[in-house]
Amino acid sequence: MFNIGRKHLVHIVKYRWWWMALTTLLLVPGIVAMIYSSITYPNHAPLKVGIDYTGGTILQYGIEEKITNKDLATTRANLEKEGIENPYLQILNVNSDQQQNTKSEIQSIISVRTKFIDKDSNDTETITGVLNEQYSNPELMSVSSVGPTMGKELFKNSFIAVALAFLGIVAYLSFRFRFDYALAAILGVLHDVLFVVGMFSILGLFYDVQIDGLFITAVLTVIGFSVHDTIVVFDRIRENLRYYSKKMSFGEIVDASVNQTLTRSINTSFTTLITLLALYFWGGVTTKDFVLAMILGIIIGTYSSIFFCSMLVDFWNDRQTKAKQLSV
Amino acid sequence: MKNKIIMFWVIMAIVITAIAVIVMKPTKLGLDLVGGSRLVLEAQPTDQVKEITPETMSHLQFAIEQRVNKLGVAETVVQQVGDKRLLVEIPSVTDLKEAKAFIGETAQLEFKKPAKEEKGVITWESTGLTGKDLSKSQLTTDSSGQWVVSLEFNSEGAKKFAELTEALVNQQMAIFFDGELQSAPVIREPIYGGNAQISGGDSGFSYEEAQRMVDLLNAGALPVPAEIVEENTVGPTLGADSIAASKKAGIIGLSAVMLFMIAFYHVPGLIADIALIIYSLILFALFKTIPVTLTLAGIAGFILSIGMAVDANILIFERTKEELRAGRNLFTAINSGFDRAFTSIFDSNMTTIITCVILYLLGTSVVKGFALTLALGVMVSMFTAITVTKNFMHLIFGTGELKHPGLFGLRKDEIGAAYQAAETQREKARFGILD
Repeated sequence: MFNIGRKHLVHIVKYRWWWMALTTLLLVPGIVAMIYSSITYPNHAPLKVGIDYTGGTILQYGIEEKITNKDLATTRANLEKEGIENPYLQILNVNSDQQQNTKSEIQSIISVRTKFIDKDSNDTETITGVLNEQYSNPELMSVSSVGPTMGKELFKNSFIAVALAFLGIVAYLSFRFRFDYALAAILGVLHDVLFVVGMFSILGLFYDVQIDGLFITAVLTVIGFSVHDTIVVFDRIRENLRYYSKKMSFGEIVDASVNQTLTRSINTSFTTLITLLALYFWGGVTTKDFVLAMILGIIIGTYSSIFFCSMLVDFWNDRQTKAKQLSV
Repeated sequence: MKNKIIMFWVIMAIVITAIAVIVMKPTKLGLDLVGGSRLVLEAQPTDQVKEITPETMSHLQFAIEQRVNKLGVAETVVQQVGDKRLLVEIPSVTDLKEAKAFIGETAQLEFKKPAKEEKGVITWESTGLTGKDLSKSQLTTDSSGQWVVSLEFNSEGAKKFAELTEALVNQQMAIFFDGELQSAPVIREPIYGGNAQISGGDSGFSYEEAQRMVDLLNAGALPVPAEIVEENTVGPTLGADSIAASKKAGIIGLSAVMLFMIAFYHVPGLIADIALIIYSLILFALFKTIPVTLTLAGIAGFILSIGMAVDANILIFERTKEELRAGRNLFTAINSGFDRAFTSIFDSNMTTIITCVILYLLGTSVVKGFALTLALGVMVSMFTAITVTKNFMHLIFGTGELKHPGLFGLRKDEIGAAYQAAETQREKARFGILD
């Protein structure tokens, strides 16, 4: 009836072991980075965590000059001389057309991260003073501060949020599909989350990228998107099973379903990616890492729903059939 | 057909309402976009107040509100979150350091008596008379023209003050303001009636100093000290930058998605684009009506939802194309495209909504904004991508004949002659062709 017999672009069942190997290959670098980080970081976290979770203060200054890494090193030394403990400095470059938009003179943003500055401390004035000496007219653009107890609480909440999201999705999928489909979808989600977290672990090691509350939001969005994608494929498997289960093997149906939904999977991810890339290149400086996490998540989510989840369902079905044959 | 025309006008009415709302209502922008300060204060138990009760919290909230209002900034927010925290939002403040200092201060007024004297240094001890016993404070001048802060005690305070001055005749009594000694006059005679004055010591108060003290005293002492546990302050420059950047990203993202849809799906793609514009209008109008405070993360959620909103259309059109390839007649192909894609769309959107609900319940305010915009977006997109597109498709392809497969981005040979196949009575009934 449909193009169920059309030439397939991807073969899930035939190359099952290849897809398994590719999946492993994608995940290994991130896992290695996470293990390495857990061992080497003083707080034994698999990722570099930002002030949202550890507590601390970030001050951002707009500077009218282009800042180099050498300038930054001088600033760091000066700050330490003035008694600021372990300041962590970063340059955020303002792109030129953003300047045209707002006619601002600011070329670079320096972000200074320190331990939590409470209301009795004069650290903010000290830091502003140091920057004032080195650069002309630094403008304090933003302050974010999270107290140490608050950080622990936020961490706990994020953890609960992710766990609840998993549970909610398993419950919904078990209700709408079979439990084994739900399980495959969740394994797919775990795979995607592991990949994104692994990538950020690598970014943390090499580029000092830190995760914050927005990162967890991005991960949760990726979870939603990844399941979303998987459901479309599973929905098609379910539909095809209804019509063709007598004529075709389960593996053939999986292959056909994946191919039927292939264009859609790729197109949807592509339109979502378009908007994310626009946000990444032209959007606000402060949401860049957040958007990057989603870009990575959506690419891997598309991969996993096409190759990984459907392979799992087929694999599962195979074993069940074999078990049945044995018992007969 | 009649139903479809009515539906078309209903959609138009919604669009016009949305545009009217957008034009008339202001957008509520978050502090990270307009600049401002967002503080989370936590009540700290003291030796006197060991437990933070709901009553303590409402006192604290009242006192903080008074102080925040004194800043003279519009649309400030003081709101209790959880058991012992207050959320304070102060938009568009230029001198944020000062705003923060004002809130943080405990404004403790205390009267102390001398405990002992060693080598001319007096140590003071508490008398139990504090700012809580005060009924009001005023700015006046004394006989020499110096600014002084006059105090009027409440009945209990007046009693305590009288007892204290009786006991301290010919001794000094110290007035401490926020732990700092303000003045230590010698009590000549007992003071009855409950009135007293604070002078600024030898150098006297400046007008500003005295006025500020009066304000703080009138605002009432905080029942317990409050610590800032979280702060997010954004200057106006960064906010303006973010708005400009988000606008640009939004326009580029939206146009690129629209171009892609036309390139890939031709006429249906164009219809999806119109639906997408309607989607953006309705969603934006909803933001203004509810109102949803737009933050940077919220705008990111909005822009992201544009990419996701066309998902339903892609699902439907892919299905329609498939049905056309399989030899269905155009009308059936369109209808079964919508019909068959619906479960996928519904199930997948439900999972997004589940995660949004969780984010909304557990997240911080930044995360809440993102979750709310994304969830609203998903719900509105179900309406525009399904109802609106279906209506337009029916109006345009209502004749049921597809003379030019290219309109759907298909080649003639992909369809063959099959597209002209007559529908069976059952199929017509199922997809409502008979109406």
